[in-house]
Amino acid sequence: MKTEQSNKKAAVIISLILSLLVLFSLVYLLLPGPGSSEAGRYTAEIYQGGRLLYSIPLNNISENRSIIIESPDGGKNEIELRPGSIGIVSADCPDKLCVRQGFISDARLPITCLPNRLVILLRPALNGAESDSITPDIVTY
Amino acid sequence: MHVKKLTVLALFTTLSLAVYAVESAIPPLVPIPGIKLGLANIITLILLQNASAKDALMVLAARILLSSLLFGNVLSLLYSLCGGGLSLLAMMLGTRLLHGRLGFLTGALGGLAHNTGQLLIALMVTSTPGITAYFPFLSLSGILTGLFTGLCGQFAGRYLLRGRHLFR
Repeated sequence: MKTEQSNKKAAVIISLILSLLVLFSLVYLLLPGPGSSEAGRYTAEIYQGGRLLYSIPLNNISENRSIIIESPDGGKNEIELRPGSIGIVSADCPDKLCVRQGFISDARLPITCLPNRLVILLRPALNGAESDSITPDIVTY
Repeated sequence: MHVKKLTVLALFTTLSLAVYAVESAIPPLVPIPGIKLGLANIITLILLQNASAKDALMVLAARILLSSLLFGNVLSLLYSLCGGGLSLLAMMLGTRLLHGRLGFLTGALGGLAHNTGQLLIALMVTSTPGITAYFPFLSLSGILTGLFTGLCGQFAGRYLLRGRHLFR
């Protein structure tokens, strides 16, 4: 009887922890979240092996531009900048997952090319006259 | 070790290696690094629930070494060791707490731990803290695929019950 009860208790606790994690993840993925910029202005940061190579405000981009990043161990990624979005268009890594991640235009998921240790992430842009550091509590659409 | 047990564990190693090979032939469904079904986890779960933690550890270690030798490199060995190791620990805990029942919950714990371990290695490799942003995605996929592999392990284990003497 006792093991039956502790079995049930453990099951409830484990299910509860797992459901909370699932809920938290869904909320994070579906809602804009704290890392989002109200005005949709983002600065793209390109890191290689933890070193910040480029920091580019995406709203200043008026026409498509590409950057080629070569890693010290011979890897190569071609990044394309578009007005308001960024993505990897070609790479020499074996799985090409970085290319398949497509273009990102918000801060939710970064683009990563693990073989070439390359990470692209967007942060809300803070420079410029209109942007301010006040973040609203509620965002309505 | 008994010759019979050695043979059975070798058979399970082969099985998990075959499952792993089949899975790596499936193109990734979601273009996020680290998201996969983790079918080889089924074998680990079956061993944990029907044999022992020691047997599961031996088969897992052999599978990781062999798969990295055959299909991977040093880096994939690191990813597999951290992911697989954490997953085994989590499933050992789950099996103990749940007395070997509710395999899908144990599987979900394993999937979650596996993806967390891989994210830790990815953090180390890229040295970019920003990729923790993948955690919600990875934990979600780890739990969902873990529920599935856990169910598979549970069903497969049911048919193994009659063969439990295999592991003695």
